[in-house]
Amino acid sequence: KRSGRKSKFETGRSLWIDNEGPLEQTDDSEVESIDQDEIFDLIRSIADPEHPNSLEELRVVSAEQIDVGQNHVTIEFTPTVPHCGMSTLIGLSIRVRLLRSLPQRFKVDIKVKPGSHQSELAVNKQLNDKERVAAALENPALVETLEKCLETAGMQSELYD
Amino acid sequence: MDVDLPYELQLVTDLRGHEERAWQIAWNPVEPLLASCSADKSVRLYNYQPSNESLKFSHIHSIPTGHTKTVRSLAWSPSGKTLATGSFDSNVGIWEREGGHDGDEEAADWECMTLLEGHETECKSVAYSSSGTLLASCSRDKTVWVWEVHPDSDFECMGVLMEHTQDVKCVAWHPSEEILASASYDDTIKLYIDDPSEDWFCFSTLTGHKSTVWALAWSPKGSYLASSSDDLTIKIWKRVAEHKWECALELKGHERSIYSISWGKGKTGEESLGWLASTGGDGKINVWDIREPPESSTGRVLSHKLIATLSSAHDVSDVNSISWCPREGFEDLLATAGDDGSVRVWKVVPSH
Repeated sequence: KRSGRKSKFETGRSLWIDNEGPLEQTDDSEVESIDQDEIFDLIRSIADPEHPNSLEELRVVSAEQIDVGQNHVTIEFTPTVPHCGMSTLIGLSIRVRLLRSLPQRFKVDIKVKPGSHQSELAVNKQLNDKERVAAALENPALVETLEKCLETAGMQSELYD
Repeated sequence: MDVDLPYELQLVTDLRGHEERAWQIAWNPVEPLLASCSADKSVRLYNYQPSNESLKFSHIHSIPTGHTKTVRSLAWSPSGKTLATGSFDSNVGIWEREGGHDGDEEAADWECMTLLEGHETECKSVAYSSSGTLLASCSRDKTVWVWEVHPDSDFECMGVLMEHTQDVKCVAWHPSEEILASASYDDTIKLYIDDPSEDWFCFSTLTGHKSTVWALAWSPKGSYLASSSDDLTIKIWKRVAEHKWECALELKGHERSIYSISWGKGKTGEESLGWLASTGGDGKINVWDIREPPESSTGRVLSHKLIATLSSAHDVSDVNSISWCPREGFEDLLATAGDDGSVRVWKVVPSH
């Protein structure tokens, strides 16, 4: 189901206001619960910006590093090296993937694993500043790079379908 | 609803129309006009008229703006005749109405009188000084610009202030003096004045917030400045000398970033410093009544009382902006803008 979806950048639709989210098929009255594994399925196949591997293969993300509440998700990821210059991009790709896939009620926090990055605070701050994220997603060059990472994001789910 | 508070927020209207996240609203200080801006790059204008003991809001105009990216910020000049827009495309637009005066709003067209270029990256906030002779803008490029407003939409840059070490999120002018405040991703607040023989300069840095300072609001009489932050607190800074401000109070009451605050006169009388409204990523609106301690008391702590609160003000969405109507007789009217693209207007009414 998910794999056939066109990017919103291609369709010219809003990144933020999504009334057709694939997981949002229930009535407002019944709140669908989503677990760790489902979130993991959404992000495990995102491609690393520098390697020909997925975030799961590089152990950047794992199900254990995902914490899900009723309306809240916290994702921790582990950069491959402590000086990884791509950490912000990886975090942003996770954020965009979830923005496009999760029901709107979810507030998402994304952080690097404590101690795993030399600029941990700076990376975390940037990834969770919605204004900077919004502005980044209006930068065509960045979006192009981001779309490459996200091209493969639906693949894992395809296997399960 | 949550607890027994003396007031509650009554929804006056829910204004839909933006196709994407609504970032900010601005009440015209003179006319019955409310403007909103959005990631959809447009500005929407609504007027409001009394109707059956309530107010009827009507959409009267949309400005496509021509900004190539999100319109992040809005500010009316004190005369109510000019609207400034700050965009992620790094420019500031200056808009005035052409034709359609004398109440015939719908015939009016809003034209871009000038485009202020100078910022290198996203403009995050714009603000007019109380006299309307100065305009400030700030950006992710870490600078704050002060522009002098000349006749015929001519603007002259009076200073580029490079005091912050990071993204500048908000600029706010003192309600009567030419004092400018700016808030930043570097967790600080800076205050500036004009040196008549030199340039604009920073005379004070307020530190204490532990994360990004998102918003600023001066008290109606200008003796206090409120700031709201990603550290989930609101701080109120008291003017203790002409150029000296000290933290006098810290308020807590939000679970996520506090994106916006507004300080209005309120309706609880002269003893009050007014009503401070706040909102943010938790979707909640809080309204506090702020008072000075009695003169006889030795403590310097301001008294504060939460008088109204509302959760899920825009359903599940973040609320990005909150603003009290500045016009006389409308001191109990609040507007909010949310990630759901909607603009909501609220009236603070006594609880039943």
